Amino acid sequence: MSDPLLELRGVSKRYGAHSAVRNLDLVVNPGEFLAIMGPSGCGKTTTLRMMAGLEQPDEGDILAAGQRVNEVPPHQRDIPLVWQSLALFPFLNARENVEFGLRMRGIGRTERRSRALDWLDRLGVREFAERPVDTLSGGQRQRIALARSLITEPPILLLDEPLSALDANLVIRMQALLIRLQRQLGIAFVYVTHSQSEAFAMADRVVIMGGGEIVQIGSPKEVYRLPSTRFVAEFVGRNNIFDGKVVAVNGGEMSVATAIGPLVVLACDLDPGTSVTVVVAADSLQPCLPGERPNTLACSLISEEFVGSMVTLFLETSDGTELKVQVPERQLGAFELKGDGLLTVGFLPQDAHVLRT
Amino acid sequence: MASDARRRAAIFAVAWRAPLLIWQGSFFIGALGFLTVMSFWLVKNYRMEPAFVFQNWERILARPFFWDAFWRTLGLASLGTLVISVLAFPAAYTIGLVLSPRAQRLAIFLLVIPFFTSYLVRAYAWQIILADRGILNFLLSWLGIPAVSMLNTPAATLVGYATLTLPLVVVLQALSISSIDRRLIEAAYNLGCTRLRAISMAIVPLARSGLIIAAVFAFILCYGDFVAPYYLGGSLPPTLSILIVDTAKSGQQWPRSAVVAITMIGVLMAVSFVAMRLVYGRRR
Amino acid sequence: MTGPRLDTLWLKAYVGLALAFVFAPIAVALVFSFNSSRFPTLPLQSFTLEWYEDVASNPELISAFGRSALVALLVAALSTAIGFATAYTDYRFSFRGKGFFVALALLPPTIPSVIMGLAMLAWLSRLAISGTIAAIVVAHTVICIPFATAIIRLRLSEMDAGLELAAWNLGASPWTAVRTLVLPFARRSLLAAMALTAAVSFDEYAVAWFVSGLQKTVPVVVLEILTGNVDPRINAIGAIVFVTSMSLVIAAQILIGRSSQKSGTAE
Repeated sequence: MSDPLLELRGVSKRYGAHSAVRNLDLVVNPGEFLAIMGPSGCGKTTTLRMMAGLEQPDEGDILAAGQRVNEVPPHQRDIPLVWQSLALFPFLNARENVEFGLRMRGIGRTERRSRALDWLDRLGVREFAERPVDTLSGGQRQRIALARSLITEPPILLLDEPLSALDANLVIRMQALLIRLQRQLGIAFVYVTHSQSEAFAMADRVVIMGGGEIVQIGSPKEVYRLPSTRFVAEFVGRNNIFDGKVVAVNGGEMSVATAIGPLVVLACDLDPGTSVTVVVAADSLQPCLPGERPNTLACSLISEEFVGSMVTLFLETSDGTELKVQVPERQLGAFELKGDGLLTVGFLPQDAHVLRT
Repeated sequence: MASDARRRAAIFAVAWRAPLLIWQGSFFIGALGFLTVMSFWLVKNYRMEPAFVFQNWERILARPFFWDAFWRTLGLASLGTLVISVLAFPAAYTIGLVLSPRAQRLAIFLLVIPFFTSYLVRAYAWQIILADRGILNFLLSWLGIPAVSMLNTPAATLVGYATLTLPLVVVLQALSISSIDRRLIEAAYNLGCTRLRAISMAIVPLARSGLIIAAVFAFILCYGDFVAPYYLGGSLPPTLSILIVDTAKSGQQWPRSAVVAITMIGVLMAVSFVAMRLVYGRRR
Repeated sequence: MTGPRLDTLWLKAYVGLALAFVFAPIAVALVFSFNSSRFPTLPLQSFTLEWYEDVASNPELISAFGRSALVALLVAALSTAIGFATAYTDYRFSFRGKGFFVALALLPPTIPSVIMGLAMLAWLSRLAISGTIAAIVVAHTVICIPFATAIIRLRLSEMDAGLELAAWNLGASPWTAVRTLVLPFARRSLLAAMALTAAVSFDEYAVAWFVSGLQKTVPVVVLEILTGNVDPRINAIGAIVFVTSMSLVIAAQILIGRSSQKSGTAE
């Protein structure tokens, strides 16, 4: 079995009294698209910077291909970073920016020029080669920044929220480009973002970070459907979260007492009296008729949110609990809202995910 | 009513503009304007007479010793600017990028103090230090190194220039360097630059404008300085500034001095113009 | 940033060296002002205050110091006043020819002081005030206005532009607004400008030499002594001059630092 490309073991980083990263263990495998996600201040950017050698861990080891590289200065690590601000050199034109890494390696002028033009061509921005970079649009600059990082053909590329400054339609196109590039080149991408949609659209594995620690690692689907903690459940996707206590276990099912009433979920080896959190994804909670499903709730409609082909309904039960329900837009008309905006929603036991609190 | 208010507003505006315009108009522009006019006047019997002749210009510009002084001044000032800019850079780099914000402010605070403190007395103190039996040679002999005769040499003039301009150049360079976007420097490291290479490949190009402006100020100060070449450099051969003082001291030859002065202003304007093109030129 | 610590140590030492170079002449003058030997050579002899006593009992020097102080005071007041008007104009108004206005305000330091001296000598002679204290005050003010303007303008840029508008909206005339809002806000920078321009004027030698005639200021006296024989009094004079101007510059810097800490609020 080959060494992972990059490994972080027990890495911690403090700034004064504040712990930015705590005892982190992470592995980056060759050729994978790894997304690191989390709210602002969770330590994801610090982790990325430590991988690039721009920060030194206070504790722990960083290993590249099995070798400890903590002491290796950034210019000797072959691990290019695409900055959020892109950090293109304003005093160089596009081509010169792209050539920069090769220049540092002593590659001759003609060769690096042709390689730079080749990469610019690959990314569809060859025509801007001789232009100063601040005359170009966000999307064009983004591609030049990518070319600049990839030209040295590194085994691993770090990206720090590269799409956060782009317009929405550009983001979609850039995502497609990134996925395509990553597959074609077969190099590992470590992609930091606070946007779920980006992470889930592109990644093979998703790392959720909170408070400087890794909270969950898994495939996008796992993280989405099977959040391991309440934090992940709140951060990822649209989930309805109910705290409660196990009341009874009946064969394969379990009854949980919550603030909105008893809920029926699948049993999972827990004794009555255990505190649990029941997570129901918004697309598992669907409009239905009263009694049609083992768990139904009466609620009224507060607002709707259209996100392309899906609509999220924000509902409220009579005692003020907020619910989120996601339905395809086309089905909106299929069920009737009674004149007073009252609705019944429900979910099946197998669609609920139970966490120990 | 409305025109009343408008009039009052106009008075308010003009009132605040007036002091500068009146004062600098009368005394700054007046003095320099008169200087220019005066360069065309005649001196008869030790008195100046209004005239419009080119005699002063011809006399001065025809003299080889004027041109000697001209090139000498230009050469010394340019050399001084170059040497000081280079010597200042490591200090500016350290202050701008390496020191903590507190240390940075302290360093700049300390550097500003001597800059506004009697240059004349500081230059005199350097005379003491550089004299044949002065402090420098005392230290050198203590270390076993033979004595150097530094006074009355161009090197001593450069020391004087440095005393005058080093604080300013270090501070201006440091401010310019510290305002560089750090991420650009990190990008340079990330793409394979060692710390040293990053200086030439990233930091200098990014701080270019500030470095040029610092050099221009240094040049202006050195070019016009009288004290360093006179008291430390031995005053012979003379610089243009020494010429002005000598010519003005010896009997009312103010028009001739004015010619030298205006030539100097011309050179300074040309240098500033070139520098501004260097700073802003690329954009066009 | 990663990098060996040794590097950083050398760099900091270099900064120390630069500071030492810059302060060396000041230290030398101070030390030798207490040295009993007539000649400024090492090794040092005994400690003495005789040079200071000499200076203190010399009427020519005392009147020179007095003159310098008077000129500095007048220059500080004038250039700060005009500097405020200029800074305020730049801050509040935009008008055709503003570029020219600002250039006029900031140009003087780009003219070498020897040239200014000559020009002032000729022009002020024409205006028949050359050789008087007024001449020195006038010439120094021309030189000092840019410094005052820059300091005050910096402070004004920290003021919320809406404050004056709010005052007008509440019925204050523009004059009242300046008096009650802008001036108090800029108070520390006004003091800093006065301290700095006083220091600049106090140390100015070239223009003073040209226009002062018989009304010599301290730097002019120093110039005369320098062209003569070795005179140990000069260290004592230098030390006094240094202490005076350094105090003024330090005061100015502290005032500027303090005032921007309270940025945005009237004091």
